[in-house]
Amino acid sequence: MSVFFLYPLFLFGLAAASLPVLIHLLNRRRLKRIRFPAVRFILLSQKRISRSYRLRHWLLLALRTLAVICLALLLANPIFQTGAGLFAGGGPVSLVVVLDNSLSMTWSGDGNGFKQAKEAASLLIGGLNDGDRAAVIATNISGKDAFRLKGQKDVLAKEIAGIEIADGTANLAAALSKAYELLNQPAGQKEIRIITDMALTGWDQFSVAALKQADPSIPLKVIRIGRNQQPLNGAVKEIRLGGQGVGVNLPLQIDATVANFGATEIKELLVQLSIDGQNKEQKLATIPAKGETSLTFQTRIGQAGPHAGRITLKKDGLAGNPAAHFALDAQDKLRVLLVDGDPQTSLVQSETFFLSRALNPSGERDASLFLPTVVLPDGLNTANLDNYQVVMLANLAALPDGFVTRLQNFLRQGGGLLIFTGDKFQADSYNQKLGAALPAQLRDKKTGPEPGGEKIDKIDFAHPALQSLADTILQESIKSVRVWGYQRAAGKPLIALANGEPLLLEQKVGAGKVMLLTTGADRDWSDLPVKTVFLPLIQSLTQYLAGGKRGNLDAGIVVGAVKELSFPATFVGRNLRVTKPDKQNIEVAITGAKERAAATVDDNDQAGIYRLSLPAGGDKDSGAPQIYAVNAPFLESRLDQLSAAELAAKLKPIRTEVLDLAALKEGGKRVDLALPLLGMLIATLLLEGWLGQRF
Amino acid sequence: MADSDKNYFDPKVLAGIANLALRARWVVEGLLSGVHKSRAKGFSVEFEEHREYSPGDEIRRIDWKALGKFDRYMIKEYEDETNLRAYLLVDGSASMNYASDGISKFDYACTLTTSLAYLILKQQDAAGVVTFSNKVESFIPPRSKRDYLLQIIHALESHGPGGETNVAKILEELAGQIRRRGLIVLISDLLDEPELIVKGLRQFRFKGNDVIVFHLLDQAEIDLPFDGNILFEDLEAANLQVIADPRAIRATYKEVVQEFIGNMRKQCHDSAIDYQLISTATPLDRALASYLSWRG
Repeated sequence: MSVFFLYPLFLFGLAAASLPVLIHLLNRRRLKRIRFPAVRFILLSQKRISRSYRLRHWLLLALRTLAVICLALLLANPIFQTGAGLFAGGGPVSLVVVLDNSLSMTWSGDGNGFKQAKEAASLLIGGLNDGDRAAVIATNISGKDAFRLKGQKDVLAKEIAGIEIADGTANLAAALSKAYELLNQPAGQKEIRIITDMALTGWDQFSVAALKQADPSIPLKVIRIGRNQQPLNGAVKEIRLGGQGVGVNLPLQIDATVANFGATEIKELLVQLSIDGQNKEQKLATIPAKGETSLTFQTRIGQAGPHAGRITLKKDGLAGNPAAHFALDAQDKLRVLLVDGDPQTSLVQSETFFLSRALNPSGERDASLFLPTVVLPDGLNTANLDNYQVVMLANLAALPDGFVTRLQNFLRQGGGLLIFTGDKFQADSYNQKLGAALPAQLRDKKTGPEPGGEKIDKIDFAHPALQSLADTILQESIKSVRVWGYQRAAGKPLIALANGEPLLLEQKVGAGKVMLLTTGADRDWSDLPVKTVFLPLIQSLTQYLAGGKRGNLDAGIVVGAVKELSFPATFVGRNLRVTKPDKQNIEVAITGAKERAAATVDDNDQAGIYRLSLPAGGDKDSGAPQIYAVNAPFLESRLDQLSAAELAAKLKPIRTEVLDLAALKEGGKRVDLALPLLGMLIATLLLEGWLGQRF
Repeated sequence: MADSDKNYFDPKVLAGIANLALRARWVVEGLLSGVHKSRAKGFSVEFEEHREYSPGDEIRRIDWKALGKFDRYMIKEYEDETNLRAYLLVDGSASMNYASDGISKFDYACTLTTSLAYLILKQQDAAGVVTFSNKVESFIPPRSKRDYLLQIIHALESHGPGGETNVAKILEELAGQIRRRGLIVLISDLLDEPELIVKGLRQFRFKGNDVIVFHLLDQAEIDLPFDGNILFEDLEAANLQVIADPRAIRATYKEVVQEFIGNMRKQCHDSAIDYQLISTATPLDRALASYLSWRG
């Protein structure tokens, strides 16, 4: 039940209602003074007629004020309305129906919310008369959508039928802005109806200030899709990787947090982990009311490359998004060639003992991301470097001539080389044969007694290969290292000794990298191999030299967000094909950005896995993602609703009325109050005239 | 009466005549033209009272018989005997100064008083004047000398209107002073308590006086002819003021005034006092005619 005005500008005329009072006050101020002998008779007269006189006086004033108010209201043409019906008459109507199709509508109205909302929209459109025009705007509106008011009911009905639930949150500000834009043209009567479940999440993000334009004089009614029951309400809040990287056939730990939004405990909730459509593991969980529970899944992936993962909640009557998608990039084992320059009969004393243990601590084949292979210097000439990502030379005296050429080709194609020195190491051979590929020109050896060893002083933790050593324990460990034998060199070190001599140096060669550790790989020149930091340092350097690949889990972006993708610079100018979850393909241009190429995908309007088809000739090992996940906003599963008062406060100064769906179905009635007001005005003027005569 | 004579009594015309004596003569001569002569009965000497001798009194006026009676020298006083001894009591309070159109109530009262005195003296009766507000301002005892009119006029002109009205108190005071019977003429707007005024007048009646009351009101006091919102300030009580819309209260005001007049008239009638309401817009002949009708 409400009253609104067709010509609200005339309401400013209400200010004129103060005129009779002002005139009265002005008259009081302009008093004539008369000296008079019979004042006592005047007093007596006033006393005698005081009550009736004052009553008539105020009645006259009230009637005059009422007459002005009636006139202003009459010009503004008030309309009294009950229910949610449209005008029965009084000129053509321009109506915009904003239909909330956010994900939460799936569970509103006890599961029929969206169907009810569409029926309500159809009811409103069906109530239009000839000459009326309307538009239907869904709340997952994008800036590209075009809308216009139209009078064909059948076209509008088709538009309503075509609107589907979106996976994202309602963009109410954009939808309302569009509604006001459509109504920003002359029309007899303008109307806006929002059909929504008033879910907290969508309206939480709404602010009147975000509207591009608004007209508070346009009547706005919210038709609420309510619910009778309080369903179980939960959703997957977070998915994250539990262990270190994602490797082929390595143990993979995935942690998931499931939230319960409801006031009732969720018991025996089946939570399933599936990868590439195959169910990997499932658990039963109990989630306390308004609480959350973390679950850990253990599995393995048998194949390198991208994998689509999903956590699914299964429980009868559960309201809330039941699925959360994620993308896995499984990394195959990194093959490392260890060249032992000082082999011993005892493995422990061999130059590569500590290196092979650092890369594969258990020694079992499927226990580590790294697969080290040890060869002696004689085997270098026959070793096929294409089978390895990284080559480590440990105290190798001199580089065989035939090997140098193959090594340089290996580096140019993106391979990694880590050089350790030692007592057999001949600096001249390296200086001469590797030349510019060497991180620094090597000079003489420096050795001394173990107790007088140099400490490590400076470490470049900003370097990608050393970032993982920033941990406090590892920092203390590396600073406790003593180095008493090393190869002096000139260059900018990544790690330096206390005396300023470099301990670790780097040089890029083509697509590959060369790193030089100026001390040995065993305990002959330093105690580094027996320190805690040795294992993470060697693994980190190996991954860095192999191109930084270690596999990962990407929990994805929310629906509507923009996905930024990075590619090698050679991709610039080509098109990237994106296949959406509904198999629809879109083309995205790859553009240049600094040293890399980039592409932006902004059409992420569906939840699920998006697959990328890289341009022909592209390198699958380029580091570019091949899939990514898009999820519905986690909070969209929360079914808490705003109250009518809270909604009205949010929409202030827009005058809002909240109606239940039932009110719309019952229809409504509109009465033009102009005629009754005219009658009241005439009656007021007549009464005023009659009373005035009696004075 | 001929139309040309009407001007004699028109208050507005009279207001234009500054000389009160001339004004009175104008009125009276106009009135008496064609009227029969009064019943003048001549003069005689009549004992009035004894008073104690004081040095300077003539020895011959000592009443030797009274010496035996009172054992003191007493002087015998005589009064000229006349047909009539008239006391003209004129209200000189501030409220009498009101004039809505032309002549004020006080001026009207003075003209009326002078006219009456002129008429009385012309008939060789004695006329005296008392002017008062809340106290006696001047007291001119009645005399029948022809040139006494000048003293009366002087008394009227020497005291302008001012002060509050207290008619009842003045009447009580005068009733003690006036011992010989005669005619008491009260000319006032009577803006006082009617009961107290009539009570004072009754004292004169008890002593055998004839009493005539000329109730003098301005026409505006009767009709309240004003428009718009007005702040009315009382002429006598400085702090008495009221805002009123005359249009709204006029009917009731008239009722109140008529009730007041009716009350005065009734109380006077009950006490055998002649009452005459006079508006300052009324020609003076009505007042004089009222007097003459009394004289029979």
